[in-house]
Amino acid sequence: MLITGIKSRPVYDQLRPLPGGIRHLVAGQGSGGRAMLRLLDEMPEQGMQTTLLYSQESFSGLDFLAELQQRQVAELRVYPSNQELVADLERILGNARMGTRLYLSGSESFIGTAMQVATHYDMNSDEVLREHAGSFVRRIWCVHCDSYTENVTQRVFQCPGCNAMLVVRDHYSRRLAAFQAVKADAEVPGELPEAEELDT
Amino acid sequence: MTIQFRPDETYRDDYTYANSPECIARAPFPFPDDEYMYSMNLEPHVSVGDGALKAIFDIDEHYISECRDRAITLEKDPGMHYVSAPHMMEAQWDLLELIMESYASDYPEYFTLEKDGTRWHWTNTLLNIDDTFTFGDPSTLPYEPMEYITRQAQGDWVLQEERDGTLYWGAGIATQRADYSLRFNLGMAWHEFHGPVPLLKETGMLDRALKFLLRLRCGHPVRRLNWSLTVNPRLDVSAESLPDWAPDRTTVTAENAGKLVYLRIELQPLHRLPRSNAIVFPIRTYLLNLEDIATNPAWAKRMHRVLKSLNQELVDYKGFTRYRDAAVEWLSQFDDGQDEEVVKAG
Repeated sequence: MLITGIKSRPVYDQLRPLPGGIRHLVAGQGSGGRAMLRLLDEMPEQGMQTTLLYSQESFSGLDFLAELQQRQVAELRVYPSNQELVADLERILGNARMGTRLYLSGSESFIGTAMQVATHYDMNSDEVLREHAGSFVRRIWCVHCDSYTENVTQRVFQCPGCNAMLVVRDHYSRRLAAFQAVKADAEVPGELPEAEELDT
Repeated sequence: MTIQFRPDETYRDDYTYANSPECIARAPFPFPDDEYMYSMNLEPHVSVGDGALKAIFDIDEHYISECRDRAITLEKDPGMHYVSAPHMMEAQWDLLELIMESYASDYPEYFTLEKDGTRWHWTNTLLNIDDTFTFGDPSTLPYEPMEYITRQAQGDWVLQEERDGTLYWGAGIATQRADYSLRFNLGMAWHEFHGPVPLLKETGMLDRALKFLLRLRCGHPVRRLNWSLTVNPRLDVSAESLPDWAPDRTTVTAENAGKLVYLRIELQPLHRLPRSNAIVFPIRTYLLNLEDIATNPAWAKRMHRVLKSLNQELVDYKGFTRYRDAAVEWLSQFDDGQDEEVVKAG
């Protein structure tokens, strides 16, 4: 049970063709490529209205680029990192018109940061779908030094920003696209909570 | 009503904050029963008695000192304790108007408000403020309207906007927040920001409370009480400053708990705002240490029973796991095991 215990973790969708779309932006990362391929199968008529954005950054090492290259679409844009994909998505949405539909598939961190961009452009819930893929490694915000750490798998870890030992709280902010972490030994320095693998 | 203000108290470092007997007696004691569990404790916010529930927004002898502590906290970490989404400006003006009108009508000896169209003249003799500004024009105030007026108000204030059938955090000033981060919570929906609170969702209370609040009408405020415990009379107990105050939790013993352990009572009078349709959540905090509580033996007896029987999940969430037993032991001297009615405040 992945969701259990985390009451503010986002609830994700399953990618499916959104009605009313004139232009489809399908953006994914790593193992999210599988959901992109499935979606393309479900909308064979819309290939020429579809732009694919794919980042090969992957925590699990899965890469669907070869399969995606076989598909008949208007354009396939490939990026070495999620960050570069999201930056390009921002440029694309800045020039987007009515009827644009956005489909996101990948890690929680990828979806969260891409959603920050979509929210900035006021895309509504009927214009965006998000499907989680791969492991639930977490993007973490340090409440003390305001820095972010990607791919955290342990309940207790050292913050690269301020070197404090942090404990991850099961509390997620969509605005920051991150879970919160606070100093783990704040009460008694050196006295750490039990190490534990997060439900990744 | 004349208040004997205590203008030079500190909520940090040497902690000179203290309550007069009158201030203790007027506090809104939050425990209606010997056992505590979350409940739908919302009631109409109507004036009751001569204590904390009399005014629309209560002020007390700590007003001047508390406003100073807020200013210190705001200056220390800009952007951390006051945040507002850009589209919340209308709600900010709503809030400024509500606080000014409420203070001026409940405390005319300290606050006055004169309106000449959009030209408003506001005086606050307690903080030596005399300002004229244009309502609706932020450039005529030294801060954004919400920050301007809440720098002159006791308690934390959160503005929530209604969208898609739920409430979102749109703006807030929080210099006395209980172990949460304002920047983190900004933009969160009702079910998200309540996520960490144990037992709330499971009981269905979260859905019921939201339904109730979405029906809140302008001019018909409601109130509820909440509470927690803190060590020392410290207002800035944010998640950000955790390393500064969490070590204090280890200093509590059964001998010193009476002085060190403070009951934080939160009075929350919620109002729908007229122009923006936002809802304001004020969190007005009262700090009473266990010795203060014990000046009313019935309170001490009840609080002993509440802390002793409190669900461990709530103890952990409220952050006093480390000193619950010490507080219970200190309070036990006031509980003879006999049952008697606890006199409620107000």
